Amino acid sequence: MASARILAVDDSPTILEMIKAILLQGGYEVITAMDGAEALETARAEMPDLILLDVMLPKLDGYRVCRLLKFDQKYKGIPIIMLTAKTEEQAMATGIRTGANQYLTKPIEPERLLGAVAEELQKAQG
Amino acid sequence: MVNDGSSLSKDLTPEQFKRFRDYIHQHSGIYLEESKSDSLRISLITRATRFGFAALDDYFKLLSTDESEFNELMNLVTINETSFFRFPAQFEALRQFIVPEIVEAKPETQRSFRVWSAGCSTGEEPYSASMTLLDSGLEGLGYKLEVFGTDVSTNALERAKAGVYPSRALLNIPHSVATRFFEPTPEGHRVADRARRLVDFQFHNLIKEPYPLGLMGNWDVIFCRNVTIYFKLESTRRVVDNFFNSLNPGGYLFIGHSETLTSISDRFEPVEVGGVFLYRKPQQRHTSFARVVEQRRGESRRPLAKQTDAAVRVGRRDRVRSAPPGAIVDERTGVAEKADIPGLIVSARKASEEGRSKDVLKIVEDVLAVDPSNAEVYLLAAYSHADSGDLQTALEECKRSIVLDPLSAAAHYVLGIIYQRQSEPERALQEFRRTIYLDADFVLAHFNMANIHRAKGVKLEACRSYENALRSLYRTPEGEWTWFLGGFRPDLLAQTCERSLLECRKKA
Repeated sequence: MASARILAVDDSPTILEMIKAILLQGGYEVITAMDGAEALETARAEMPDLILLDVMLPKLDGYRVCRLLKFDQKYKGIPIIMLTAKTEEQAMATGIRTGANQYLTKPIEPERLLGAVAEELQKAQG
Repeated sequence: MVNDGSSLSKDLTPEQFKRFRDYIHQHSGIYLEESKSDSLRISLITRATRFGFAALDDYFKLLSTDESEFNELMNLVTINETSFFRFPAQFEALRQFIVPEIVEAKPETQRSFRVWSAGCSTGEEPYSASMTLLDSGLEGLGYKLEVFGTDVSTNALERAKAGVYPSRALLNIPHSVATRFFEPTPEGHRVADRARRLVDFQFHNLIKEPYPLGLMGNWDVIFCRNVTIYFKLESTRRVVDNFFNSLNPGGYLFIGHSETLTSISDRFEPVEVGGVFLYRKPQQRHTSFARVVEQRRGESRRPLAKQTDAAVRVGRRDRVRSAPPGAIVDERTGVAEKADIPGLIVSARKASEEGRSKDVLKIVEDVLAVDPSNAEVYLLAAYSHADSGDLQTALEECKRSIVLDPLSAAAHYVLGIIYQRQSEPERALQEFRRTIYLDADFVLAHFNMANIHRAKGVKLEACRSYENALRSLYRTPEGEWTWFLGGFRPDLLAQTCERSLLECRKKA
């Protein structure tokens, strides 16, 4: 089976490179976007198998990107994992309300990230 | 292979000399004649011993893969290399910014401008200073101009006084300057009398104290390039202290373009002027509180504002209106005296780590109300704005931070990040280079440089930067830069570098 293709979205080139490294190490194919608008466009054009989405993004924040995709019949099946530094329950609740499948808080450990990705991909296929 | 250096062969074979000479020529454009073999040998042994290499060939391997080591070696190799207008940007800064700034601050009655070139060697530097002062137009305003060159080498001083130079000494000089200030003679190019008459030379050993009366005090500018490279740390401190005491308030110390006074002296104010780093003796010894008062009264009118951003000042004044909660306000002056600024900065950092931008910006406002020249909070503001995608505001705040603290590696790093996100890779690269210049082990700057080179398809440069990142990472696994990892662990960065390096090598 071809390896899953993952869209990683973060506005920091540094962080994006590191997330990419983790995913490549996990054997996934990776595409990237650096702001909310680009994320939305790329998701629609490329139909990735999963999206890793930072909350704090220029142009459109991660919540809105997530909501726009999850409210669209065509894309709502793509699992979305939100990445954020926020620890408050309030923020967590917003994340879930927008329809994100999982919510990972930073600091992000490679094992935890790969675990969450594998879990969501499995759920989506099953 | 690595030892304490005691068994390092102290000879430089002709083959080795050629190998190093060609490498240096290829990478710096400087061609070392055979006569420089001994000075190159000493420089090489100095550096190789520092790393404990048993053979110069091993040191060559390091040199050819490590840009920062190459710079270190070049500092040593070029110590005695001198030419007219060496580091032209410094002379440009002198003419364009420093002379007007100092003159504006002088009392009407004090119409003189004095420059001391300490360690002037064969005279190129003091003559360059003389030509620069003449071009600044001060004489027409009735100023008496004086340039004084001192050195420990009497041979060098003899040649300086003769003032006749071979063609290659004039390499950096624009044609227009050469024709105005030099006369061709059968022996070579002779400095014209109009530039000569300002300059005087005298023997002086910078290490020997006390300094003669004529050297102590009343200097507007002192040039002493390579002082931090040439002397041992303790001597350097004393020399720099003597310079401080000899300068007029508001006077400037020019050191080499790759030197810094960090850990040598904190009495000077570091200033970036026209792209060069210089050190200024403060006008008066202010406490930061006094500075706040001065700025509130709007009395600060340093001409430096001409070349900084006018918006910096306006922005700063705007913010000094209200005292933050918890600050004690002096009813007479209306100025807040105390606030727990370190505490506030800690909370701002925490808020930033948790992505609470609004909270960060609130704390920034509070701190700036009490301490409007706090470079660190401007930087936190910049980082916050960048995080929420407002790159334009981020850029402005970051530049403010750099104006206040031009030698902050972190501030230049953040500026690089902002340019990188604005898709301006060249500017980003420049800022990352500055970051590394200020903190050679700022791992993330190496890492981001590597990523930019790779994106541009410059694989060799990318490999080198990834290697530098890894080397720095092994040397200092934690530093100021770790804060910018956004919660990732440094070992993940190491893995990322290793993987990217392998990929780049495959393609290179």
